[in-house]
Amino acid sequence: MNNRKLSLPLALLMGAALIVVLFPVFWIVMTAIKPPTDWNASPAIWVPSEPTLINFRTLFDPEALGAYGVGGVSQAATKAVYGSVLATVSATLASVIIGLFAAIGISRYGNNSKATPLVILSGRMFPPAAIAVPFVIIFSNVGLIDSYLGLFAIYVAVTLPFSTWMLKSFVDDLPREIEEAAMIDGRSRLAAHLTVTIPLIKGGLFATTMFIFILNWSEFMFALVLSYSNVCTIPVQLAKYVTATAGTLYGVQAALAVFAMVPLVFVGYHIQSHLARAMTFGAIKQ
Amino acid sequence: MTAFFTSCPRAQTASAAQPAPAPASAPTGLGLKGLVRVLVLPGQIVSLLVLVVPLLVALYMSFTDWSPTRGSLFDATFVGFENYSELLIYDTRFVYSILRTALISMVCLSLEFVFGLGLAVLFLREFRGKSLLFSAFLTPMMILPVVVGYTFWMLFQTNGPVNQIIEFLFGAQATMEWFRNAPCAVTAVILTEVWHWTPLFFLILLSGLNAIPENPVRAAVILGASPRQVFWCIILPMLKPVIIVAFVIRSMEIIKLFDEVFMLTRGGPGSATETISLYIYKLAFNDFQLAYGAAAAFIVLLGSLLLIHLLLVPVREQIMKAGR
Repeated sequence: MNNRKLSLPLALLMGAALIVVLFPVFWIVMTAIKPPTDWNASPAIWVPSEPTLINFRTLFDPEALGAYGVGGVSQAATKAVYGSVLATVSATLASVIIGLFAAIGISRYGNNSKATPLVILSGRMFPPAAIAVPFVIIFSNVGLIDSYLGLFAIYVAVTLPFSTWMLKSFVDDLPREIEEAAMIDGRSRLAAHLTVTIPLIKGGLFATTMFIFILNWSEFMFALVLSYSNVCTIPVQLAKYVTATAGTLYGVQAALAVFAMVPLVFVGYHIQSHLARAMTFGAIKQ
Repeated sequence: MTAFFTSCPRAQTASAAQPAPAPASAPTGLGLKGLVRVLVLPGQIVSLLVLVVPLLVALYMSFTDWSPTRGSLFDATFVGFENYSELLIYDTRFVYSILRTALISMVCLSLEFVFGLGLAVLFLREFRGKSLLFSAFLTPMMILPVVVGYTFWMLFQTNGPVNQIIEFLFGAQATMEWFRNAPCAVTAVILTEVWHWTPLFFLILLSGLNAIPENPVRAAVILGASPRQVFWCIILPMLKPVIIVAFVIRSMEIIKLFDEVFMLTRGGPGSATETISLYIYKLAFNDFQLAYGAAAAFIVLLGSLLLIHLLLVPVREQIMKAGR
C-alpha cells in the first residue's frame, strides 16, 4: 500500500511501544540473574551489579543458596521440569498424530456438514474451569488423578481440536489431484495419504506440532487441579513458589519463569509465519 | 466422492509428475467407509471419553447436593434445580464475577484493538530492521500466561518498577499498593492482559492490512482523497471481516481468563478481580462445593456456548471456507 518512510515522530512512537513491550521481559530476565540481596531491594534494582546464575542452580539444587545465607527453603524444580517435558512431549505427539488422521478424514471425505467444525470449535471454547470439575471427580475414581497419564489424556483432549483444525487447513491447501494421481498409480487411498499427503504437508505438520507444544507447555489450570504430590509441571511449580514463600524467592521464581519461557519464545519465532493461522483456526492465512 | 471420479482425467496428467511406483500390496481391504472410520475414529473416541463423559457426569452432579465429604456420588441426594436457582438468584458473587469478566473483556479488547491497529498501521511503512521489530512485537503472546502473571506481579509491587516509573514521570512519591486496592487491582489485571494479547490483534490486523488490494486505495488517492479519508472510508471497511475475526477469537479466549489473574491477585482484594473461571475454581477446589461448582460451570458453559455461536455467526462462512 503506502510504502512511505517512517517519520521521526512515528519512529519515536514505535520506539516507545517497543520499550513497553520489552520491559517486562527485561525485568524477568534481570530478576533471574539477581543475587538474593537484590531480589526485593527497595527501591527496586533494575540491573544487578553482580549478575549471578545461582537462581538457576537453585532450581535443581535447593541448597545452592546456602552461600548467601538463604537455607534450603525452596523445593527443587526437577520434578516439575521432568513432568512438563514428559506430559507436553507425549501429549503433543499424540494430539498431532490423532489430529492428522482426523484432518485427512474431514478434509478429504468430510460431508461438508456445517455442524462439524462448529462442534469441534465449541469444544475448545468452554472455560477450562467448567470442565475441570467433572474431570477431577472422574479421574479420582479411575485412579488417573495426580498421574502423568491423566495429564496426558487431558492435554490430548484439549489440544485435539486445535491440531485437527490447523492440519485440516493445510490438507485443504493441497490439491486432491496429487493424491488421486498416486491412487491411479495403484496405491490404496490409505497408502496415498500416507506416502503423498503427509510428506507434502511436512511444513504444516511441523508448525502444528510446535503450536500444540506451545499450548501444552503453557497449560496451567488442569495441571493445577489434577496434580498433588506425585506430579508437577513448571507452571504449577511457579504458582507454588508464589504461594509457599511469597516475597522471599523472587530470583528463583524468575529463573524458573525464564527457564519456562525460553523454549516457547524460540519455538514461537520459528513458526511466526503460521501463528495467525493457528490462532484463528485458519480464518486468517498469511 | 463424485469429485474424485470427475477429476480423474486431470489426475491422469498430474500422475506424470509423480513417478512413484505402485507398491505391490495396493488394496488394503478397507472400503471407503472403513477408511474414513479408521481416520476419524481415534479423534472421536478421545472427544467422547474426555469431553462428553465428563460433561454428563457434571450435569448429573449439578442436580445433587454432593460434596467429597458425603461419600459416593451415587448416594448423593437429588435436589433438582436448587443449585441453579441459588446461583442465579441469591449468589451475588457469581453474578458479579460474570459482570466483572464482561467488563474486563470489553475494556481489554477495545484497548488491544486500538493499540494493535495503530501498530499494524505503523508497520505499513518502510523502515530498517522491520522483520526484527515484527518478531519483537510478537514476543508477549509467546510467553506463558503464568509467567506473564508472575512478571507483572513483580512489576506492580509497591517497591516495584511501575511505581518507580510513576514517581519518575510525575515527581510525586508513589506508594500505590496495586493489589490492596480494588480499582488498582482491576487496572493491573487489564494492563497485564492488554500487554499480553495486543500482539495477537497486531498480527491479525497486519495480515489483513497487507491483504488489502492496492487498486481501490490508489484510485481514491488519485481522486484526491486525503490519507485520513482513505483510512476511514476505504481501508477500514475492507478490513472489517478481519477485525471481526480478531474480536471473536479474543473474546473466546478472554472469557476464560484465569492464569494471569491467579498469579496476580488470586481474585483479590476480596473478590475485586474474581473472574468466572476463578470463582468456579475457588468454589470447587478451595471450598469443595463440587456440586454447586458444577452447576455454576454449567451455567457458564451454556452461556458461553450461546455467546460463542452468536459471535461465530459473522465469521462462520470465513472459517468454513478456510482452505476449501
